[in-house]
Amino acid sequence: MKNLYLPITVDHIARVEGKGGVEIVIGDEGVKEVKLNIIEGPRFFEAITIGKKLEEALAVYPRICSFCSAAHKLTALEAAEKAVGFKPREEIQALREILYIGDMIESHALHLYLLVLPDYLGYSSPLNMVEKYKKEIEIALKLKNLGSWIMDVLGSRAIHQENAILGGFGKLPDKSTLENMKRKLKEALPLAEYTFELFAKLEQYSEVEGPITHMAVKPRNGVYGIYGDTISVSDGFEFPVEEYKKHIVERVVEHSFAKHSLYNGESPFMVGAISRIVNNVDLLYGRAKELYEAHRELLRSTNPFANNLAQALELVYFTERAIDLVDEVLVKWPVRPRDEVEIRNGFGVSITEAPRGLLVYALKVEDGRIAYADIITPTAMNLAMMEVHVRMMAEKHYRDDPERLKFLAEMVVRAYDPCISCSVHVVRL
Amino acid sequence: MEEKIRIGFYALTSCYGCQLQFAMMDEILHLLLNAEIVCWYMLDRDSAEDEPVDIAFIEGSVSTEEEVELVKKIRENAKIVVAVGACAIQGGVQSWANDKSLEELWKTVYGDAKVKFKPKMAEPVEKYIKVDYKLYGCPPEKKDFLYALGTFLIGSWPEDIDYPVCLECRLRGNPCVLLERGEPCLGPITRAGCNARCPAYSIACVGCRGAIGYDVAWFDSLARVFKEKGLTKEEILRRMKIFNAHNPKLEEIVNKVFEGVKE
Repeated sequence: MKNLYLPITVDHIARVEGKGGVEIVIGDEGVKEVKLNIIEGPRFFEAITIGKKLEEALAVYPRICSFCSAAHKLTALEAAEKAVGFKPREEIQALREILYIGDMIESHALHLYLLVLPDYLGYSSPLNMVEKYKKEIEIALKLKNLGSWIMDVLGSRAIHQENAILGGFGKLPDKSTLENMKRKLKEALPLAEYTFELFAKLEQYSEVEGPITHMAVKPRNGVYGIYGDTISVSDGFEFPVEEYKKHIVERVVEHSFAKHSLYNGESPFMVGAISRIVNNVDLLYGRAKELYEAHRELLRSTNPFANNLAQALELVYFTERAIDLVDEVLVKWPVRPRDEVEIRNGFGVSITEAPRGLLVYALKVEDGRIAYADIITPTAMNLAMMEVHVRMMAEKHYRDDPERLKFLAEMVVRAYDPCISCSVHVVRL
Repeated sequence: MEEKIRIGFYALTSCYGCQLQFAMMDEILHLLLNAEIVCWYMLDRDSAEDEPVDIAFIEGSVSTEEEVELVKKIRENAKIVVAVGACAIQGGVQSWANDKSLEELWKTVYGDAKVKFKPKMAEPVEKYIKVDYKLYGCPPEKKDFLYALGTFLIGSWPEDIDYPVCLECRLRGNPCVLLERGEPCLGPITRAGCNARCPAYSIACVGCRGAIGYDVAWFDSLARVFKEKGLTKEEILRRMKIFNAHNPKLEEIVNKVFEGVKE
């Protein structure tokens, strides 16, 4: 048969954040084309906030995405504070990192248990798993609730936090709430470890094995974490966050409202939990370090499915890290919630580690208003690499039952934990 | 055995926060014993967008031509349509740009590049189909979902809230962000139901639950207070429009407050 083009499409990939599809076109010589169609409408966040007051823009940016609204809020805040020349006190920075970790714990628990695990256990939805996998669902909810509660306490709510503002916080919890937080985190630690052991048993598909370029923040103060001023690439290259545009180059592709990013304008790369582990493993400590040592062959740089296990490892790590940060803050208690910030003109870039990987905010402030905004989200960075891996999967399975191929293609996409709503707000100015 | 209520959760262009809030209620597991999920892509691979349902929850603003067709299809298939959250009800924060044209926005973000899908200015669901009930908020509170689902499940109908955030704020005993601190709090015009969450954190309300309905003169009196505090007409409109960009009366009301006044 000649020129029989059989498009295999998933119009709406389930169990991911946002709306996107996969299209695989197969011709007589194999896989012709693989496209991730990002069909969620564009929301123009950068464009709509231009000319708006800084505080109002900061209230709106987190609305880019609910799965990582704290990440958006805190990254935008840091970019804004850099732009106006303000540096938060250490204890405020520590509290912000705890809030950020709340997002990390919630997002990872949600992704692993509710979005990924059903595939492995043969369910279409976590809602159907309750009867047989009660324990897993309970752990998922406990970890998820812990993350949400941390965001409630420090951010005012679990989705779209308002209580992180220029100069600090509107209001801080009392000391006993922080002590309670530490207790809850300690209780969650065994659940995080259980999660890691559970995911260490799951298959990582060899079809998508191959070299991957990883990009991650080089964390501040030499402790594995979220904030940093330099980006490291797994090929050994490093660059200051201000130079992001030279090395993370975006282009528009016609099948997607989200742009694609290429390393130095040339090659796809990956960001996310596995990229953080690959680039910063030496900075891990505590129980997470031990678990890494015991399972390092599973946490390898060459397979996107390792991202699932990497997230599980981070559940352990960030739970311990948050306990340490609470201790740091408690020593300095009582903490003044906020400092006055003088709104000067300037330009600031912040790149942090959102649950799904690097998140870029570059903001220019003029007369108290946003004069320029550039946001690049992790999913937009990952899209090009995701297409490479879906293609690898398709090349091995295009002769199989199309339903099987669709399922495997979706699993590849889910391993990246894409945040499609985020990705469609990407912008160049 | 009684037949279960068939529920669909559909997403247009949004942040998925309303669905996430819905999914993250522990109570959902109990409620769902009485319901069958027909469509919910965020959590279920076995979802079907074009099957009949009793209740359709729609999150997100209509932002592409494809989504116009989708909401019409959902309406045809559903007995009750519930618009969920600021995007579905008010067009969302993505509507905050209504002073700029779609062409301008597109050019700012994508340059001259073309994409094969057709974008639109973000609009509320009600612009295209009849909506039976609304769950306000960005995102709605968990109790909003519980209340709505609970009443639907017993065959009743949830009631609307017709008083402002200020009322809840006074009941909580918070210091007034607007009068005592001079911040541009939108509490007086914003529909209650959040228990004055933000003012309780000492933060001015941005109005995420949208303006209180029934065409009372809330905008008018708040605009006067803002004006007395020294805000310009442009500043007042900009702030009131974060979550009310599609309100047809807003501009007219604020203009009146400034009539004959030299800025």
